[in-house]
Amino acid sequence: MRRMTYAEAIRDAMRIKMKEDPDVFILGEDVGKFGGCFGVTGTLYDEFGEDRVRDTPISESAIVGCAVGAAATGLRPIAELMFIDFVTVGMDQLINQAAKMRYMFGGKITVPMVVRLPVGAGFQAAAQHSQSLEAWLTHVPGLKVVYPSTPQDAFGLMLSSIEDDNPVAFIEHKMLYGVSGDVDDEVKKIPLGAADIKREGKDVTVIATGKMVHEALAAAEELAKEGLEVEVVDPRTLYPLDKKTIFDSIRKTNKAVVVTEEIKRGGYAGEISAMISEEIFDSLDAPVVRLGALNAPIPFSTKLEQYMIPNSGDIIKGIKKLV
Amino acid sequence: MISIGIIANPASGKDIRRIVSHATVIDNYEKVNIVERIILGAQGCGVDEVYIMADTFQIGNRVIDNLIASKELKANIKLIDIKLNGNVSDTINTAKIMEDMKIGCIVALGGDGTNRAIAKSIDKTPLISISTGTNNVYPDMMEGTAAGMAAAVVAANKFDICHTYLRDKRIEVFRNGIFTDIALIDAVICKDLYVGSKAIWNVEDIIKVIVSRAHPASIGFSSLIGCMMTIKESDDYGASVDLNCLGKTVIVPIAAGIMKKVNTCNLTRLNLNEEYYYKAAGRGIIAVDGEREVPFKEGDEFIFKITRNGPYHVDVKKTLEIAQENGFFIISGEEVY
Amino acid sequence: MNLENSRIIDMYKTMLRIRKFEEKAMNLFAEGKIPGFVHLYIGEEAVATGVTANLNTNDYITSTHRGHGHIIAKGGDLKYMMAELFGKATGYCKGKGGSMHIADATRGILGANGIVGAGQNIAVGAGLSAKYKGTGQVCACFFGDGSTNQGTFHESLNLASIWKLPVVFICENNMYGISMSQSRHQAIQDISDRAVAYNIPGVTVDGNDVFAVYEAANEAVKRARAMQGPTLIECKTYRHRGHFEGDPAIYKPEEEQKEWLAKDPIKRLESFIVENKIQTVDEINEINEEIKREILDAVEFAENSPEPAIDSVVEDIYTDIVEEVNLV
Ligand SMILES: Cc1ncc(C[n+]2csc(CCOP(=O)(O)OP(=O)(O)O)c2C)c(N)n1
Ligand SMILES: [Mg+2]
Repeated sequence: MRRMTYAEAIRDAMRIKMKEDPDVFILGEDVGKFGGCFGVTGTLYDEFGEDRVRDTPISESAIVGCAVGAAATGLRPIAELMFIDFVTVGMDQLINQAAKMRYMFGGKITVPMVVRLPVGAGFQAAAQHSQSLEAWLTHVPGLKVVYPSTPQDAFGLMLSSIEDDNPVAFIEHKMLYGVSGDVDDEVKKIPLGAADIKREGKDVTVIATGKMVHEALAAAEELAKEGLEVEVVDPRTLYPLDKKTIFDSIRKTNKAVVVTEEIKRGGYAGEISAMISEEIFDSLDAPVVRLGALNAPIPFSTKLEQYMIPNSGDIIKGIKKLV
Repeated sequence: MISIGIIANPASGKDIRRIVSHATVIDNYEKVNIVERIILGAQGCGVDEVYIMADTFQIGNRVIDNLIASKELKANIKLIDIKLNGNVSDTINTAKIMEDMKIGCIVALGGDGTNRAIAKSIDKTPLISISTGTNNVYPDMMEGTAAGMAAAVVAANKFDICHTYLRDKRIEVFRNGIFTDIALIDAVICKDLYVGSKAIWNVEDIIKVIVSRAHPASIGFSSLIGCMMTIKESDDYGASVDLNCLGKTVIVPIAAGIMKKVNTCNLTRLNLNEEYYYKAAGRGIIAVDGEREVPFKEGDEFIFKITRNGPYHVDVKKTLEIAQENGFFIISGEEVY
Repeated sequence: MNLENSRIIDMYKTMLRIRKFEEKAMNLFAEGKIPGFVHLYIGEEAVATGVTANLNTNDYITSTHRGHGHIIAKGGDLKYMMAELFGKATGYCKGKGGSMHIADATRGILGANGIVGAGQNIAVGAGLSAKYKGTGQVCACFFGDGSTNQGTFHESLNLASIWKLPVVFICENNMYGISMSQSRHQAIQDISDRAVAYNIPGVTVDGNDVFAVYEAANEAVKRARAMQGPTLIECKTYRHRGHFEGDPAIYKPEEEQKEWLAKDPIKRLESFIVENKIQTVDEINEINEEIKREILDAVEFAENSPEPAIDSVVEDIYTDIVEEVNLV
């Protein structure tokens, strides 16, 4: 076992793949000597040089588009955007190009690329630097969407994402970068499309993503004191989605809470709860409870920001609606 | 060894005249291209050493890279290695080094300001001046290849071309007895308080204009006098005139694309080496060759003196004609009739 | 073109107000009293000041993540600004924007902006509206060197050029986009060169000389008001601090930093004022004291202001809909 942070785990996975495969390279703003906006690329520049850890100008459209072109012609780019909020600037390249190429061209071109997209609120960065926009991406056929919550998952999923022959949106929560956890010594990939049960329980299933996994675990811990056994399921990849693990858990508990940090309206939690209702309605004792941020942009004020994002207290309240 | 020096000012062709006077932006890639053509013209005519001013845009390095890549480089090129300040001092320092190295000819790319800076540093080195702007009097619009050829002819020193010319005039400016600055074409006393964007184009605040030469076509302040009398470079005098006073009203091309009516009086001829005295009645600035440079305060005493201490300014056309008449370009063989 | 002494003093006060406001913000951030991102404009004050000295209250500006200077220069109220930095209900944006998103519609301040390059197109729209309505307003658009590599820069210059819109594009070339020095992020040195491609005038001026900026902006604003089209003004300048507070800026060579500190725009204007006897050193000191008091008042106002009410989190999203405020 190694102890490392979420950021270090992502970096280490990239390092391993870069050592293994000379076609893997990184591009993005300030990813070089500066080490990345959140320090994720760190020392990779020193280890691999400027050809493989490429600083780009502030040109998100070109960053994503260049990754698309490079991937279509035999390289395996990892593009870093500083904040997922800036994916808007590169959106055409990601949605109309990366995601569509293979299909439009009848399978003749593959686009093996990873776009790293830091999401999340929590440090008063306000409306344009705090969003969780993963549902925009899960909506688009052709993209895989990965969202780890622990160092171990970040490590294993990054290995798979780089190896994957499809465009992968790799969502990282900024507030998790500094969170430490154990990572297996053995280099073990985690397949895309495998959920993980982060805590077992028989009374209620909480399906949570990213930072909300930690909030759900805290809620479960709290409720355990009252004798309530909460099972926390982390899908880890939003697409492909491991429905089986989620459904199996609900078949056991008959109750489901889905919690994501996204704005509730149109968030991916809606997709998951709709699937549950559609496909295993009979296993439910009560309607699925869906939790998300308020339908508002992220405010600057610490007080307002904290209020509008779900936390363990809100999850407890959500669970209590079911038991 | 036949050597030439090239000074290309990376900052020329970008000042406020782009807004106030329809002037054209000359981007630095164009300067790189021109320098390449100067070198190709020069090495084709026998130059084997080329020294280029280092600059913050790296015009010199880009030229070297390009000519190596295109496999056209024959001459030996070096950058003059100095600590760059990213301002006019780079030009002044480099010109001084070139003068000390006894380089055969300097080719300058820039405007009046660039040439004035070079003129401060050189004494014996002949100067070819290519204009990279629209608002210049001293340098000429010309093709770099021809400039390079002429530089080669001058540097070869076979016909002693340039030393048969007169040296150019210049206006020397002394403040309170101390030699302060020079102008090649014109010195303007104005009531402006600050150097600001340097260029000067508002006539309302001008007190007096002193010129070393004048012609209606020499856009700028020398045309102010030029619209009333012509003073050639060969004439051993200049002139001064007062502005915004009762006398003749003249229509003048005060900047490229700007025609202005100006009230003038006291048009006076200034003979070579004659001292013209001016005592400041208030704050203001002396602009030399169109750029505000020397701020002054009430009571400052100035002397302006027109001398022949300016550069040996090469006439490119005439030089190439002399070279041609002397068979410079004939490499071998005889005319067959 | 001479400025009256009183206007020179006004410009000095504006620059000083920006500097002192930001020095205060810097300290408050270090003390943990201001959260979020704080990007300081220290060292670049002459740009905002020289440009806005040519604008009327109803003229527009668009700003950037480094916006305090633009907003103060355009007349923004220090109290509401400081309260916004604190995230208080009395702040310009009711605590929802913070340092990076201050706006004041009553003064034509169309907002500081967290998206690099976004203001450029908004400025084009403001210019269009001024032209369309024939109001005679202009829009001054501030942006950094780094942003000129965004598509928005090129798109906005082109659009403003073909429609001859009253927009003045002001590039604050402080030689860096975060850690990327200009020579690494673009192959040109003078961003004004890019004007050629859009057939508009482009000039480069010393951005640490408020008079140079003033003069260039004056001509550009005149052009804009006369509906002759946009102008690109590049101001060469330098940020004294890191990209944001907390950035140790190890990528800036010490020598370079030293050279630019010596070219401090405020010190330069100060010596101009004293040398030309526009004010005495004592009078300058008095101005300094006066501005320090303004800043302290602003801080006091901010500190004594209430936090925003929870209900406000769902207000101002739409003009007509107020969202549900309960999470569960
Ligand atoms: C679209 C977008 N990409 C990236 C960023 C992150 N970012 C914020 S400021 C900045 C650098 C901007 O450089 P420049 O335009 O030169 O302005 P300066 O910070 O130097 O004032 C970057 C990359 C952003 N805010 N928006
Ligand atoms: Mg910058």
